[in-house]
Amino acid sequence: MTTGSEAATAAPAAQGHRPPGEPAPHGLGSSLPQSDVRAKTEGTFPYAADLWAEGLLWAAVLRSPHPHARIVSLDTSQATEMPGVHAVITHDDVPGDPNHGRRVADRPVFAKDVVRHHGEPIAAVAADHPDTARLAAAAIAVEYEVLDPVTDPETAFDAEPLHSDGNLIRHIPLRYGDPDVVGEVIVEGVYRIGRQDPAPIGAEAGLAVPRPDGGVEIYTASTDPHSDRDLAAACLGLEPDRVKVVVTGVPGAMGDREDVGMQLPLGILALRTGCPVKLAATREESFLGHGHRHPTLLRYRHHADSDGRLMKVEAQILLDVGAYADYSAESLAAAVSFAVGPYVVPHAFVEGWAVRTNNPPSGHVRGEGAMQVCAAHEGQMDKLAARLGLDPVELRMRNVLATGDLLPTGQTVTCPAPVAELLAAVRDTELPSLPKEAPADEWLLPGGPEGAGEPGAVRRGVGYALGMVHMLGAEGADEVSTATVKVSGNRATVICAAVETGQGFSTLARQIVQEVLGVEEVRVAPVDTDQPPAGPAAHGRHTWVSGGAVERAAKMVRTQLLQPLAQKFGMSTELLTIADGKITSYDGVLSTTVAEELEGKELWATAQCRPHPTEPLDDSGQGDAFVGLAFAAVRAVVDVDIELGSVRVVEMAVAQDVGRVLNPRQLAARIEAGVTQGVGAALTENLRTSRGVVRRPDLTGYALPTALDAPDIRIVKLIEERDVVAPFGAKPASAVPVVTSPAAVAAAVRAATGRPVSRLPIRPQAAVAVPPSH
Amino acid sequence: MTLPVSLDEAVAALTAMPAAVPVAGGTDLMSAVNSGLLRPAALVGLNRIREIRGWQYQDGHALLGAGLTHARMGRPDFAALIPGLAAAARAAGPPQVRNAGTLGGNIVSAAPTGDALPVLAALEANVVIAGPDGGRRETPVGHLLAGMDMLQPGEIVGFIRVPLLHAPQVFLKATGRTGPGRAIASVALVLDPARRGVRCAVGAVAPMPLRPLEAEHWVAGLIDWDGARGLAPEVCTAFGDYVAAACIPDPLPAEDGTEPPPLSPAVVHVRRTVAALARRALGRALA
Repeated sequence: MTTGSEAATAAPAAQGHRPPGEPAPHGLGSSLPQSDVRAKTEGTFPYAADLWAEGLLWAAVLRSPHPHARIVSLDTSQATEMPGVHAVITHDDVPGDPNHGRRVADRPVFAKDVVRHHGEPIAAVAADHPDTARLAAAAIAVEYEVLDPVTDPETAFDAEPLHSDGNLIRHIPLRYGDPDVVGEVIVEGVYRIGRQDPAPIGAEAGLAVPRPDGGVEIYTASTDPHSDRDLAAACLGLEPDRVKVVVTGVPGAMGDREDVGMQLPLGILALRTGCPVKLAATREESFLGHGHRHPTLLRYRHHADSDGRLMKVEAQILLDVGAYADYSAESLAAAVSFAVGPYVVPHAFVEGWAVRTNNPPSGHVRGEGAMQVCAAHEGQMDKLAARLGLDPVELRMRNVLATGDLLPTGQTVTCPAPVAELLAAVRDTELPSLPKEAPADEWLLPGGPEGAGEPGAVRRGVGYALGMVHMLGAEGADEVSTATVKVSGNRATVICAAVETGQGFSTLARQIVQEVLGVEEVRVAPVDTDQPPAGPAAHGRHTWVSGGAVERAAKMVRTQLLQPLAQKFGMSTELLTIADGKITSYDGVLSTTVAEELEGKELWATAQCRPHPTEPLDDSGQGDAFVGLAFAAVRAVVDVDIELGSVRVVEMAVAQDVGRVLNPRQLAARIEAGVTQGVGAALTENLRTSRGVVRRPDLTGYALPTALDAPDIRIVKLIEERDVVAPFGAKPASAVPVVTSPAAVAAAVRAATGRPVSRLPIRPQAAVAVPPSH
Repeated sequence: MTLPVSLDEAVAALTAMPAAVPVAGGTDLMSAVNSGLLRPAALVGLNRIREIRGWQYQDGHALLGAGLTHARMGRPDFAALIPGLAAAARAAGPPQVRNAGTLGGNIVSAAPTGDALPVLAALEANVVIAGPDGGRRETPVGHLLAGMDMLQPGEIVGFIRVPLLHAPQVFLKATGRTGPGRAIASVALVLDPARRGVRCAVGAVAPMPLRPLEAEHWVAGLIDWDGARGLAPEVCTAFGDYVAAACIPDPLPAEDGTEPPPLSPAVVHVRRTVAALARRALGRALA
């Protein structure tokens, strides 16, 4: 069997094209190329969908066509009898816990009695050919009694409970300050945020292989392998050590890229049949199965004095969770905590609810919670500026948060919070030139190069937004990571279960070891659950906790290596330096090589990094819930054809608080990716449903930004104010551009059209600025 | 899968196996196959039929091969011939789709958002259909799209006969984004100076392209065909509104005389979009 997982994460350092004589990028602060770049561009990178094992069977999952229905009868006999079919499984065949879930075990492996969302798994088949498996799945006879779906989250409170614990997943009533304060100026707004799909490159795929000891190995592009293993073990009725999750090449992820609901049937089928079983989901299944960004309804009332200083913010935030809880309680905490944005607000009253519906499941998507409220609080700031006749930037400047200020959760901001500096940086950046300054045939008008754009109907708008996001898990989550570093000869190896999702962790780990041990060749081992856990790849935590663990382990190896030498010469290890595989003392007297000092030995060290603890929000939404915060300011420049309502984002200028730049090129790539995802959320990305049924779950119906939709992205300032509690002082960088960009685009469209723009994505009819002719 | 090299061979292959499905660019068909919606018993590939990959001239008309790709139609030499069709071809989808997708496929799949269709409707093109025993018959493209005429078993769209008008033609398409996307609405407008006519078709708002005949006739009567051919901006605006109201009419009052419900905001937006597109198209054609 070849699984290819070796090559997936362990490719040697890719050597970019460099003029001869120039040293290779090395250590922290350099633009070391990502190790998998070459394999990905040449098409040799092994994804989970490429896995193969001798004698494998193919799985297919039968999914519910209804968002809400009672299963009256389920007959698998015809499917079981089809030639080539090895097993057909339903809820009766789940050997362990029939339910799973990240926080609350409320999600059945296979629907029993009732289906709660369109696309919910009902049965699975293993057969000797993928077509046979699909046909057999289609041959399973299910009789449904269709029920009325709960699709409006506002009605979920009073609707028939979709689950025994009711429809309310969490309610946070945040109370901060004096409720009786009334501002001199009051603005109100209602905002709606759509359902963004993470739409990862490469749909879900996996391979489960039964082990001789009765256990199972699951090969998949998991981003949180240990948690997936525990879920699988519980559902399979096995001890966790009998289940091994091996992480294959991850094609790219933000948050949870895999639908766990797919890995569980795979494991059961492999145990059932005794054969390796493979499943490659279609894009449609992927759209139906995995978690989306929470569609959110927000109502805001901002109170300010006549100078534009915020006095009080009242807000109601309603998150549509879909049928199953997943991480939604955490998403709600982020939404409520950041409801006022990076501003000083003396009094805040925010009610947040996360409720079950029969809509597609919501889950962990980059910047969840924070992105939705950012669009709303920035909309409110624009409204307030217009009411007061103030420049929107000036209004924001009068209210910005800084280190030492309080969040409405009562938590003091202790990390660097250079919000004013960020805003000033985008404000002071020169605006892009107008199209009329270029030859007419080079104009790219809204609607595209072959679109109907007419220069006379195009208006330009400039909008600003400030956003914030928390880093690492919140509310008491144990954010520990463990890493091992080994040195032998002139080569080091990092073993850490932090998954490289495209965020660049394996590159960063190499940079850290190069920096500490002076070893050029660093290999990052592939990830599986036999290694100690490193936690989920989310909230930028691997840069922080896993990077911190790698650094500590590398430093322990360094001490082991240098201790005997230092003792021999009667100096401390700090006076010795390692560079290019050579050890030298501060005075240059001593000079030897690492290989010589090792004398053929291997040095190993394992270390953990655990950031300072946090606490859950209490009954009034108060508590030190977050380890750290990151901020960004974005200025969007858009062109709008005000008759057709077509919008083109011309430029996004970003200033971001990054703590410290560890890899400039990678950092720029992460920010550009985040801004582009934010532009998608602002303009086109919305997985639409009609009465709970997903409409057009494909990449034609769900419009991701193309190269023509992606704007010029200018990173105008990266503020490197080190966060003292973070290893290296670096702040995770991917999420905050996603959070802030949609709000900036909305502000710019508001400026161009004079329309309120209170719904994301912005539909063309909301960006039309002429009255209808009839 | 068979790969005939002539139209008659393709027809013979289809006659021999009536369950087979012809495939050219496959941009619509293969996505249906890949998603499991369609399981054809066999495919007859049309890409090796050289006679339908290009075009020829026949007394004032161009006989366009059904296998012409959008990429080919978008090139300047074709644009000099039938500018409206070239513009529609350039606006259709991303380069990968334009390289594969064909004119004939656009007609046969008859998607409401097919970009070539309103242009063909405005040009009053005819479809030349190849049938068994070397048979050829011609039918207006509108008849085929409206289902008034259907492809019979064994028949294949071979050519599209398009008049050469030697006058401005415009195709405008509104989408939801800057990158390639499906039309919210599209308008094709061609001038026919020889017949002193303006012909316009609106795509994507109905299952097939719509022709606002009264609006065409009205505006054609206002144009000074022998002079500068210009029209006042107000006339263009009125034409746009006329076209939009014709294609997206107000609901009729109920029989008992009660007020009909107003158009939904989404429909109002489409109507406004059609009005703007038709106004711009006329303005550009007369500029």
